[in-house]
Amino acid sequence: MEFPIFQMPYLGNGMTIALDAVLHVVISHGLAIGAVSMVVVGEYLGQRRASEDWECFARDFLHLIVVLTTSIGAVTGVGIWLITSALAPRGIGSLLRVFFWPWFIEWAVFTAEVVIVLLYYYTWKSWTGERKKPHLRLGLGYVAAALCSALLITGILSFMLTPDGWPWNKSLWSGFFNPSYLPQFILRLGMAYFLGTLFSVTYLVFTRRDGNFRKEALAFFSKLALFSLAVTFLSTIWYFMVVPSAFKTHSLYAVMTSRFSQQPELFWTITIGSALFLLLFWLAALRRSVLSVRILVIPAIIVTILFVTQFERVREFIRGPYLMPGYMYSNQVLLEEEPLFAKEGMLPNSYWYNATTEPDNPVSRGAFLFALNCSACHTIGGINNIMNRVRGRTADGLYVILGHTQDMVPFMPPFSGTDQERRTMADFLFHLANGTIKIGVPSRFTPLNGGPEHE
Amino acid sequence: MNSLFDLLLQKPLPGPWLQGLLFVSFTLHLLFVLFTLGTAILAFSYLLIGHWDGKPWGLRLAGRIANAFRSHKSLAVVLGVAPLLLIQIAYTIPFFNGINLFAPYWLAIIILLITAFLAFDLLVHHLDSHRLVQVMLGITGLFTLLAVPGIFVLILTVSEHPAGWTTIIEQGYRLNGALALHWLFRYLHVLGAAVMFGAAFHYFFAAEDRKERRSLLRLLVAAILLQIILGLLLYASLPDKPEITANLFLFAGVAGGTLFLWYLFTLTGKGESLLSLELTVFAMMFILVSMLLGRQLIQNRTYLPLTAALQGKTLAHKKKTNVFARKSLDRYQARLNIVYDNGATIYANSCAFCHGELADGNGPEAKNMEVRPENLGAVRTTASYLHKILIEGIPGSAMPYFTFLDRNKLDSLAEYLNTNHQLIGNPEPVPVTVSTANLKQAKQIYAQTCSQCHGADGRGTEQSRSYLPPPPDFTAYSLTPRQMFDVISNGYHNTLMPGFGTLPEGVRWGLVKIIFTKRDSGGKK
Repeated sequence: MEFPIFQMPYLGNGMTIALDAVLHVVISHGLAIGAVSMVVVGEYLGQRRASEDWECFARDFLHLIVVLTTSIGAVTGVGIWLITSALAPRGIGSLLRVFFWPWFIEWAVFTAEVVIVLLYYYTWKSWTGERKKPHLRLGLGYVAAALCSALLITGILSFMLTPDGWPWNKSLWSGFFNPSYLPQFILRLGMAYFLGTLFSVTYLVFTRRDGNFRKEALAFFSKLALFSLAVTFLSTIWYFMVVPSAFKTHSLYAVMTSRFSQQPELFWTITIGSALFLLLFWLAALRRSVLSVRILVIPAIIVTILFVTQFERVREFIRGPYLMPGYMYSNQVLLEEEPLFAKEGMLPNSYWYNATTEPDNPVSRGAFLFALNCSACHTIGGINNIMNRVRGRTADGLYVILGHTQDMVPFMPPFSGTDQERRTMADFLFHLANGTIKIGVPSRFTPLNGGPEHE
Repeated sequence: MNSLFDLLLQKPLPGPWLQGLLFVSFTLHLLFVLFTLGTAILAFSYLLIGHWDGKPWGLRLAGRIANAFRSHKSLAVVLGVAPLLLIQIAYTIPFFNGINLFAPYWLAIIILLITAFLAFDLLVHHLDSHRLVQVMLGITGLFTLLAVPGIFVLILTVSEHPAGWTTIIEQGYRLNGALALHWLFRYLHVLGAAVMFGAAFHYFFAAEDRKERRSLLRLLVAAILLQIILGLLLYASLPDKPEITANLFLFAGVAGGTLFLWYLFTLTGKGESLLSLELTVFAMMFILVSMLLGRQLIQNRTYLPLTAALQGKTLAHKKKTNVFARKSLDRYQARLNIVYDNGATIYANSCAFCHGELADGNGPEAKNMEVRPENLGAVRTTASYLHKILIEGIPGSAMPYFTFLDRNKLDSLAEYLNTNHQLIGNPEPVPVTVSTANLKQAKQIYAQTCSQCHGADGRGTEQSRSYLPPPPDFTAYSLTPRQMFDVISNGYHNTLMPGFGTLPEGVRWGLVKIIFTKRDSGGKK
């Protein structure tokens, strides 16, 4: 590998990306697409019904949205890229090349989005009367640009789950317009408008005073929300129909993790219960009950964010052993490299191992093999702690398991390395779990001391 | 091309195009970065002047300057997408290594930017709040914001100096002397440029009267002078002296700056007349572009040969892996067809390599283990005990825990095992008749010897439960009579369980019988 090892201590790589990405999805879908669409609709209704209330609601709400999207939304979006650049350079470097043109076009679209939304925002008070119509068109133009953005990004995200014929033909088109592309796009749209209406009613019930307007707007948003809920539900079914069964079968585990994997009924109870709660929330809103919305809207937002988290977690988890299915394993080893490393060794092929570690130290070798093979998912002492995963196993047992990771655990990549390297890493893990090896700098896996028989 | 496919070898555009696009998009991005930084620095400075220097116009100017912040920062962020994409493609390895070597700082950019942006947004909308609140928001916003170009400069500096990479790894996220000094001047040079561009921008778009314009003009002059000094220091701190073309561009930039400065002096001499917008834009873009061209050439001196050398190495590596390409794709296709949703598939993939296809404990890996895998065909246990083993594993053996398969999957595995090997249920009756005397002796031996580890009730003792591996719980787990007899006679290989082959055969069968009774007794003595 041409890149040194870096891992986010304690959190691990997956959780670091997840924390940033979920925040981004909530803002980019919920505010940048969903809520701004509601603002444009609000402005339109203000014109159509000659309603000062709708006009002011839309204008004030837009202010909050612009503050949040241009600071948190934009930064967390680029943030996903910044994080992967540090944690999975080979993965992101490869994805950038497959999707060079969509990515480049996204730059133009993203810039257009920002320019239009700023214009829309700053011209609200000055473009009045005759110019109200072009102002509304500006809003529509923004929504169109935001949807283009979503169309481009979804291509890349869905590729990482269902690359279709790409591993064989390496064609951008078959990678981009892959089987899960359309269902995922519609699902994201459903999510966006569901969140958008949710944020809109939150702003409505906590900032507007006029009772009649509140009730009118509440009923309006509820209808839209119930429609988005139906779209989300149906597209989720469609989405899961096109995901390969070999991946799909791990969905439940993806959500429940080792801790709760033996209580599948818990998953169904919580999922169905939460969905029913959201349905009831909107039915109450449809009946124009401002009080129940005020009490329940924050829990409803939390539940929705949990659903978003669940969806993204499943999508990221079930493709399991692959970062790019058919091309690269999740530990950034290429599928076709694994047999080479089994023959020649992983360490002789690692520039950074040879440049930074003292040769012939089995502990450094074991630590480096762990870093190269496992650190994409496992930490030492943090989330998905490898010490808990291997505790209790014998060294020979670990050696055996390392040779069959991809068989035994279907979402793990195979161990890459020679038989001797497999033995070295098994010993390293054994001593690590038994406390005879300690790690010094966790982000780079520098061992502090060696196990007794390694001296 | 398909026969040699490694994505890191691919350039989606020819080299010159890639570099040209990178240069243009980076210049555009940097321009708005400078506006953003300059806006923040100036707004905060005028805020301080307004509050503590008793100059109310400073506050008004600060407010107008700060108003531009939102647009500048938004554009700076989005315009950064293209250069980030292009530099990661054009100089993949040096750039990613630069990021990696200072990854914690790089990741901090996200939090720094969000904090800075929110602080400034709050400041702009609370210009009527208490001055201490304003200053706190300003300080928070400014310091977090100014850290970001420091980090970008750091990453670029490191990526341009591969000779220092291993030292940085060893020192743990620290720059050494010469590079640190170079970084410092480079960073200050960016901040100086920010004041220069910010002052020029707000001279035209925020200042409303002569006093404000004069103040900004003075700042512009000071910033250019400072830039010349900082530029010279930066030039002196370059580890290798640039080649002639780079020097020419840098010289053009300095010359442009000096001429512009002279023009500014003549203007202040005349006192009244306004700075010309066209001339200012032209002069400043001329300075920016020639300086950036010089910078690009200096950068290319390390980037290009390094990238070419690595390209060669990657190609050689790719040729070696290429022979496995077709086979690994076939394997990928095959794996997509394996669905772990039924006991048979799970057993064949997750269990058989140890326990064997016939479940007799003779899988291909069995020979590599001291504690051999169990012969599953001989196990007679309960559904809940089997589940317990599956979710806890057996400490002190290779048997791991299988909680990575959800309950439904483990149930289907248990069902599969039971259908094929009658795993769940009581053991068959002992096939020989055991005399009362033998049984009596066996009872005595169990009470005196066996119970030390297995416990009088067959559940094991407090101490033995911590053995690696611990003895099984006889109230829920047995083997077939023959297998049990063999273990008593020969011991359980490589565990604490010794063989009792010296006992008379009848007594050993008696022990089997006694152990089996633990299953029915439910643990009663």
